[in-house]
Amino acid sequence: MNGSTDHPELEKRGAPMQPIPETPDDPGSQALSDALRSSFNIIRVVMVALVVVFLFSGFFTVGTQEKAVILRFGKPVGTGERALLGPGFHWAFPYPIDEYVKIPVGQLQTVNSTIGWYATSAAAEAAHNEPPPAPSLNPATDGYVLTGDENIIHVRGTLLYRITEPGLRYTFDFTNTQAHVQNAFDNALLYAAAGFKVDDALTRDVAGFRDRVRARLNDLVAQYQLGITVDQINLQAIPPRQLTAAFASVLEADVRRGKVLNDARSYENQTVSRARSEAQGRINTGETERNRMVKEISAEAARFTAFLPKYKANPRGFTEQRQIEVVQRVLTNVAEPLILPKRSDGRPHEIRLQLGQDQRLPKLPESPKDEH
Amino acid sequence: MKRNALNITVGIVLFLIFVLLLFVFQVRTTQVAVVTTFGKATRPVTNAGAYFRWPWPIQEVHKFDERIHNFESKFEQVLTPDGYSLLIMVYAGWNISRPDVFFPRFGDSIQQAEENLEQVVRNAYSGVVGKHPFSHFISTDEKELKFVEIEQEILKRIQDDTKASGFGIDIKFLGIKKLGLPEGVTQLVFERMQSERQLQENRIKFEGERMAENIRSAANLESAKLLTEADAQATRIRSQGELEAAKSYEVFQKEPELAILLLKLTSLEIFLKGRTTLILDEGTPPLELLKTPPRKQP
Repeated sequence: MNGSTDHPELEKRGAPMQPIPETPDDPGSQALSDALRSSFNIIRVVMVALVVVFLFSGFFTVGTQEKAVILRFGKPVGTGERALLGPGFHWAFPYPIDEYVKIPVGQLQTVNSTIGWYATSAAAEAAHNEPPPAPSLNPATDGYVLTGDENIIHVRGTLLYRITEPGLRYTFDFTNTQAHVQNAFDNALLYAAAGFKVDDALTRDVAGFRDRVRARLNDLVAQYQLGITVDQINLQAIPPRQLTAAFASVLEADVRRGKVLNDARSYENQTVSRARSEAQGRINTGETERNRMVKEISAEAARFTAFLPKYKANPRGFTEQRQIEVVQRVLTNVAEPLILPKRSDGRPHEIRLQLGQDQRLPKLPESPKDEH
Repeated sequence: MKRNALNITVGIVLFLIFVLLLFVFQVRTTQVAVVTTFGKATRPVTNAGAYFRWPWPIQEVHKFDERIHNFESKFEQVLTPDGYSLLIMVYAGWNISRPDVFFPRFGDSIQQAEENLEQVVRNAYSGVVGKHPFSHFISTDEKELKFVEIEQEILKRIQDDTKASGFGIDIKFLGIKKLGLPEGVTQLVFERMQSERQLQENRIKFEGERMAENIRSAANLESAKLLTEADAQATRIRSQGELEAAKSYEVFQKEPELAILLLKLTSLEIFLKGRTTLILDEGTPPLELLKTPPRKQP
């Protein structure tokens, strides 16, 4: 306020001062007065220019990804959300009255963890040119975390976060907010590992490990009031390089076990489904036999019922008739019917058969005297 | 005279500005200040704004950064009660809360304050960390793990100590940044891990084989069971058939002799169906006809 009012006064004061040196009449004084007048003119122009520059220095622009706060005598103008100036053109009183501070609210910020990884460099890593692991880890240079089951693993991560609006806390309350975010992130890694089993952290429950890191980090962010929102956490966890082979062979064993189990399961499927169809087959056979039995008997019964009246009429005649019919049919089918007439003396025949070789070979009639 | 009045006004305004600059000081939102009177801290200023002061040499204003500083301790070795050597490093967020206390003790030096803080933290290690067994730092058992509690205890201890020894600072928060083991121990841990891996590999292998064997034998058992049940069911079905057939048998009771005759005839037919050699007596009907000469013989 003061700055803007007293400068025009100075300009006006410059003009009335001109006549003062005009009182002396000698040429020397005249020359001096001319010189002074021209210097005053220059000073006047410079003054005006300075005032203009001074006033315009209060203008500033705020980008789309940021907000700004004006501090008047060191104190934010307005409180909370209301103190924030959005993107656009703004004006503040020039220093020492006002001061503006820009806050990159929307921008994604990145922080890398600093603990948990062995001593290496990005260049060496990219070139696959890392020094071979020493038999032990030097606490001064090599980072690592301890897991809940007292194993050593390496873990590192990248945290992406945004400043939560209004961002006053993030901007004004910490000397180096990124360092605090990084410490909280390191602590979250350490904490998550301290409660995890080595296999869970490395392979079995990677998502669970990340969730635990995230939960812990969110706790700390809230507790420390860092004023940020965690956007994304990327983690990488590996066994110590000294034991890469040992860990790999456990994983291999795991894969092999999976294969053995799959084989067993396919055997199970095959065997059981085969048994199932076999069982169905046996049941079906039983069913068929039952049907046949029932049908045969009922056919038999039907035949019996049909013959019954004839039989009752003449049992003897019927029997003989049936008998002859059957013998006829049987004899037609018989390959080699041999009919032996009765011997005249009434004694029995003796017949010798050679069985099992050629059934066509006939018997030899022998004299009955050879018997006994 | 009008010109003179103007000049005097301007002069007064300029003088006022000069006086204001001498008697007023600003404290920014990120700062705290302490006013010293003849070199002695007399008035702390902890809120931002413009304040009155007597000009130098009566009063002087010392401003400090009020924001939360980041402190990280050294990686120190601590012996746990159960005999583990543990390396620990903590971080803390602290700020100057009482500039009138801070200034006489550390002057303007943040660095000197942190060196003193380092000492306090080291004392807290032996006092707090040294009382917790190793399993409180890392454990798969949630109840055993006292990670957060340890942090809280260290924080409490440091807060008390800094307050008691008049640092004029406030510890806002504290966390463990790093835990480690002495270098020689890491090698031992690696050896143990190696043998654990070996054990686990074998366990997985045998477990896999055992489980596969279980699956196979269960499958065999299941198939056997299925077949036995099927057999039982088939037998049941057959006997059902026999039961049904038995009903038909009742018909035969009307004339058992006929039934037996029919049965015999059927059996005979079935029995002699194949390629058979049959030796017959000529008395068998109708062969007896071969023997008996026809009655009407010329």
